[in-house]
Amino acid sequence: MAARVQGEAGQDRRLTQRFLVGIGRGGAGALIFGIPMLMTMELWALGFTIERYRLLLLLLINIPLLIVLSHRIGFEKTSTWREASRDAMIAYAIGIVMSALVLLVFGSIKLEMPVNEILGKIAIQAVPASIGALLGRSQFGGEQDGDADEQADGQEDNEEHEFSTSYARELFMMAIGALFLSLNVAPTEEVILIAFKMTPWHALAMIVASVLIMHGFVYAVAFRGTHELTEDTPRSHAFIRFTLPGYMVALGISFYVLWTFGRLDDTAGMQALMSAIVLSFPGAVGAAAARLIL
Amino acid sequence: MTKSVRNRHLETSKAHWVEWATGLVSLLLVLGMIVWIAVEAMTQEDVPPSFDVAVTGVAPVEGGFRLEFDILNQGTTTAAGVLVRAEVVQAQQVIDTAEVTLDYVPARSKASGGLFLLQDPSRQELRLRAVGYADP
Repeated sequence: MAARVQGEAGQDRRLTQRFLVGIGRGGAGALIFGIPMLMTMELWALGFTIERYRLLLLLLINIPLLIVLSHRIGFEKTSTWREASRDAMIAYAIGIVMSALVLLVFGSIKLEMPVNEILGKIAIQAVPASIGALLGRSQFGGEQDGDADEQADGQEDNEEHEFSTSYARELFMMAIGALFLSLNVAPTEEVILIAFKMTPWHALAMIVASVLIMHGFVYAVAFRGTHELTEDTPRSHAFIRFTLPGYMVALGISFYVLWTFGRLDDTAGMQALMSAIVLSFPGAVGAAAARLIL
Repeated sequence: MTKSVRNRHLETSKAHWVEWATGLVSLLLVLGMIVWIAVEAMTQEDVPPSFDVAVTGVAPVEGGFRLEFDILNQGTTTAAGVLVRAEVVQAQQVIDTAEVTLDYVPARSKASGGLFLLQDPSRQELRLRAVGYADP
């Protein structure tokens, strides 16, 4: 009896420790992915200049995004939607806490500032940081995770490893990758400055480059996690079914992010399109990377 | 669909029609965008910036008046560092002046800002204009 109690206590301790390690990894992920944005002054300013309903929309959109991402990452460990939602919320919380701490250390938020400003600055940073926290928990997982209980159900695990990614899910993953890199780049003035400097010819070249890089990333260059085609599938199939829709997703995300940051207000259609094309360049890279990593 | 086994992904050769539909719509959108930009590239002449500045509101504030304005760039090139100056004139004499620099006024687009004046600009003659710009 005493031994069993001890055993349970030991298991409890192991679980707690594992949970804490997970939190730590999340924090590390939030830092790695969040630092570039935490150190961008345009984002500090956006914390109080961004229109509140646009900020709210971004914060709300982040929730289903994190849940799907968490489910996808946790998929290999056969997690349920409930667990995915829980992990997503934890990641969001980690993102908020890490953003607040780092901004506090930077002196970017001070206690005598208006609450509105403090909240805005933290909230806008929490979005990329929470994605980072979620990625951190999965990508830093490594082999250390292979606890006894996991090895035990390793057999059935193997079967679960083969799954079909639904088409919508594939596009969704691209959207997350594009959103993440777009959020990184969009607040900087350089995006619109590049768009202003470009002629329409430059824009055309940029579209072609973005699409080719996207296709090359996933199909041509043999990265780990690269996508392959069956022998009898012509190359153009993947180009039309995945790469072009992926680019459209990246372009759509670019428009959304630029709109969120108020970069499209009162801007002529052509100028708005040029800015979006500039932003889809990193967005396309992010989308392609997401297909490889996630 | 994509079959994924331990981080190796294999695109299935039999695709659902939705995939083709999405692909074709995307293809049309990309081509449409390219055509639009190409037409723009071939027909657009480089017209240097010129500005249309319009007062959108005057309101008394502490220590003077706030003058809000919209500025429209009528050119097809973007202007950076646009300096906008307001002068209140009475009997051919400038009695008050205020100026502000706008970071960018994109091609054929609007920007807005505000100026603070000591004299009420709605009671006297007001000169509001862009004084200069830089190429971005």
